[in-house]
This record gives sequence, C-alpha cells and structure tokens, in this order.
Amino acid sequence: MVPAISIQSLVKFYRQFKALDQVSFEVREGDFFGFLGPNGAGKTTTISAITGLANFQEGTIRVFGHDVLQEYRESRALIGLVPQEFNFDPFLSAEQILIFEGGYFGFSRQEAKQRAAELLESFELTGKRKEGYKRLSGGMKRRLLLARALMHRPKVLILDEPTAGVDVELRHRLWEFLRRLNQEGITIFLTTHYIEEAEKLCNQIGVIHEGKIIALDPTATLIRKMVRDQVELYLRKPLSELPRELVALEVRLRNGGRELQFEEREGVVPVALRVLYERGIEVERIDVKRPTLEDAFLKLTKKRPAEIETYSHSKEDRGLLKKEEGSELEA
Amino acid sequence: MRSLTGFKTLVWREIYRFISVFTQTIIPPVVSSFLYIFIFGLSLGQRIEEVHGHPYLVFLVPGLIMMYVIEGAYSNTSSSLFISRWANNIEELLVTPLSYFEMVLAILIGGLARSLVAATGVYGVSLLFVHFPMVHPAVVIYFLILVSLSFSSVGMIVALFAEEFEHLSICTTFVITPLIFFGGVFHSIEMVPAGIRWLTLFNPMFYMINGLRYGMLGTADTPILLSAFVTLVFFVTLFSATVYLFRIGFKLRK
Repeated sequence: MVPAISIQSLVKFYRQFKALDQVSFEVREGDFFGFLGPNGAGKTTTISAITGLANFQEGTIRVFGHDVLQEYRESRALIGLVPQEFNFDPFLSAEQILIFEGGYFGFSRQEAKQRAAELLESFELTGKRKEGYKRLSGGMKRRLLLARALMHRPKVLILDEPTAGVDVELRHRLWEFLRRLNQEGITIFLTTHYIEEAEKLCNQIGVIHEGKIIALDPTATLIRKMVRDQVELYLRKPLSELPRELVALEVRLRNGGRELQFEEREGVVPVALRVLYERGIEVERIDVKRPTLEDAFLKLTKKRPAEIETYSHSKEDRGLLKKEEGSELEA
Repeated sequence: MRSLTGFKTLVWREIYRFISVFTQTIIPPVVSSFLYIFIFGLSLGQRIEEVHGHPYLVFLVPGLIMMYVIEGAYSNTSSSLFISRWANNIEELLVTPLSYFEMVLAILIGGLARSLVAATGVYGVSLLFVHFPMVHPAVVIYFLILVSLSFSSVGMIVALFAEEFEHLSICTTFVITPLIFFGGVFHSIEMVPAGIRWLTLFNPMFYMINGLRYGMLGTADTPILLSAFVTLVFFVTLFSATVYLFRIGFKLRK
C-alpha cells in the first residue's frame, strides 16, 4: 500500500544551520501519527517541507505517492493543514474564509457554500459566520482553522500543535473530533507539546531531536522500549539496611526504609519477594507504576545524539518493530 | 483539462478585496482626477497653447488616465501581497493546488481590474468637460492592459522585497511618481529644456503615456511602434521576474 506520507533523507538548512538532518520516515494510510520533539527540534520545518511552505536541499517527500515538488498540485490537494498560528485573510468573514478555501481547491461556489455551512455547524460557528476572524475568541479561531483544513475533504490532516493554548474542555472536544476523523479513514499527522495528547490519540510516534529522527515506533512499543514499569513495595516496618541480594537487583530503599523501589525486569519481582519472605520482612502493599510516553520522551531527548543514533537505526530494532506492529496498533 | 475554479476564486478574492475597501481604492482617483482636470485643464490649461494640435485639456486626459492606471495597479498588488505576507495568510494560498503561475496571474488580474476601474472613472470624469475622438481603440486597450499588468508585477516584486509597509510608499514617492511626472503626464517632450530632453528617453513611462495618448488622440511624442515595443519588453521582463520569484519562493517559503 502506498504510504500517506513518505519522507526519505530530508535535509534542510537555514543558512548554515542544519535544521533537518537525513530525516526519513513513513506514515501509513489510516495512522494517527504523533510527531514529537522539543522546541526547535524540526517539527514545524518538517511540516512546512511536506506542505510546500519550506524549501529543502536534499531528499524526497511523497504524499500518497505524489512527489511534493514535481507533483505539488496533486500532493497539496490531498493535504489539509492546521498551522500553529492563525493565518486567516483579514478581509474575510469566517464563512467567506471557508468558501474561498473551497474555491482554491476546485469547489464550485454552491458546493463550497454547502460544505462551509456543514463545517460551521459541526464546529459551532454558525452564529459567528459573518464575523471577521479578529472578532472570534481563541477557541473559535482554533475551530475555524480546523474547519478550513477540512473544507476540501483531505486524505491527510496535518496539525501543528492544534491544542496549544486551548482550554481543557475544548482540548478534549478536539481530541474526540480528531479520533472520529481518524476512524472515518483520514490519516492524521499531529505535532504536540502535550505528550499526554500523543499518548491518548496516536498509534505511531516519531520523535525528532536536533533535526534527527531518534525514535519511530508504535506508541506502546516506544514506551516499553524506553522505560520499564516501576515497582514499589511498601513495608510494614522500616528497614535500616537493604539486604545484599536486593542491592544486586538494583533495588533502592526510600522513604526512611519504608519503601523499596525498582524497575520491573524479568524475574526480579519473584526474587525480591522471596528474599523479603525469607528474611521475615512483611510487605504491606505493592504498587506498579506504568511508565508514560512522557517518561519515554524525556529519556529519549536527554540522551546524547550518538547514543540515540545507535538506538534508532539498529537493524534489530527495525525487525522488532515489524514483529510487534500488528499487536501494538490498537494500543 | 484542469479546472480553473481555483484560479477564478483567487481572481475574485483580489477583486473583492479592493471593492470591499472602495473608499480607499476606487473613490480617490475619481476625486483627484476631477481636481486635476478642473485646475490644470480648465483653469490653467486655457493659458497654455494647443499641444500636438489638441487643446491642453484633451492632451492632459490620456496622461492622467495612465497615471491612475499605474498607481492603481501598483497599489493593488503591492498592498494585497504585502498584507498577505504580513498577516501570514499567504500560507493559506501557498498550500493550495494552484500553480505559481496561476497565483501570480490571478493577483495581477486583480491589479488590472482595479486600474481599469480607475481608468474608467477618470475617463468618465473627463467626459463631463470634453469629448474625445478615441482614434485607435485597439491601441488604447493594448497599452491599458500591458501597462497595468507591468505595474501590477512591479507591485508584487516590491511587496516581496519589502519588510515594512513604509517600503511600499517609499517606492511610490521616490520612483513611481517622479517617473510618471517626468514621463509626460502634464507636458510634451517639446516643453522640456533641450539640454535634458534625452533623459526622458530612458524613462519607460514616457513610452507608455505616449502610447496611450496616440491611441486616444492619434498624436504623440514617440513613434507608436517604439512605444509598443518598449512596453512589451517591460511587461515580459517584469512578469517573468514575478513568476520566477514566486516559483523559487522568494520571501514566501522558509
């Protein structure tokens, strides 16, 4: 199947600064792809290169098989872009913004009016359709950006931090809406600062750091590969010293000797419990803390680039990714 | 064949933009041309001898029309494109499937429409005072369209280079207006002191104004073929430069 987005060896310079360095990845049709990275990592630059808002020096980008340079008209017709900042025409009302957008993508005036009315209704903007965008609230402007991107029924929706500065209620409504769009078959490419957002919505994650792709995995695989479950054992009586066998298992003593903490690895929990039982140390409660995408993200982006490269490009990892893909997609 | 709907939409957007601010775009040339015709043509003009065998007012009107065509075309495209860059809504356009050629042509047609509206307004005002023979209508159309598209291109190029609104008016004040005035809106080259007459020959506006004057009155300071040729070269150069700048994304793409 032709990937929705395919990027090969993308290199982009801003004067002397290498903003993207051999970036390669694919987004499959139907994916909800989260593209994460710290500020200035290259997320918006990548989006700009895909949509034609940035030139690049090397590499190829294809959208459903159409080269974004050679066949830019075909590729752009398939993309809906929700940019990070408001970029509406200051001369037009909300309704006109949508109607003109439809026209640019080949809709007749009648079709565009009808589609605009549907979207204004869906995004609860009908009452504001005659207003210029400056008279809309921040949340309304965000909704209008999304409506505009959907005007021409794109096959890929690219969102650059769509929920930045949006209140919690609207954020959750937007998540729900994006989920529904994805279920209807639209491929979604999302950059976000809210890792929770990516974890909740995305089935695939790409992480970019200093212009390089440092991870590319199904969401659950990425978390599992990068961080393990944290096991916490709460003791009935505090320990003054950690038994020697547990030191070897990298168990840490915390909270005045009342708590043992360690990373879950194969066989560690039974061994630790056996040691405690043999020494007559009573365990009151066991907690297992599931790691989050945020933990994985922080661990990834704190690594040095050299280590990261080894991690992300190893053939074993790619093999592992392929094997696990099927089971992790629904995660 | 590919649909032209996107292209036509952008043309309409450009026209809609200047109509929606008609008090700044359509009314001023009509009012100020009335003042020029009244003061220069009717009052002062009676003290000036005939020029090329025409009363001064008749001689003046083609120059005024060309002046407002140039100003209208330049102002429309420069402000439209610069505001789009400034408000960033140029990105809205750059991600559409329109070709760069279509984008440029649509914006230029917006400039053409505005300058033709201005030309019609000035011509209408002049008819209140004087009647014109309109000797060569095809020549009139040729010059109106090519000059308008040329200065629409100039407007787009300046809007791409400009970093602030001020830069647009600097170009008007220090380049376009002096060249228009020295190009013969109000005078014939015969009225220019002989020692500096040759300077006028390097001013492209001189050929444009005289081309239109020839079309309307049948007489001019320059041979019509030379005027037509200079205007065509001017147009082709500027139009190609504008399309080229759009294609490479000059100040448009990161």
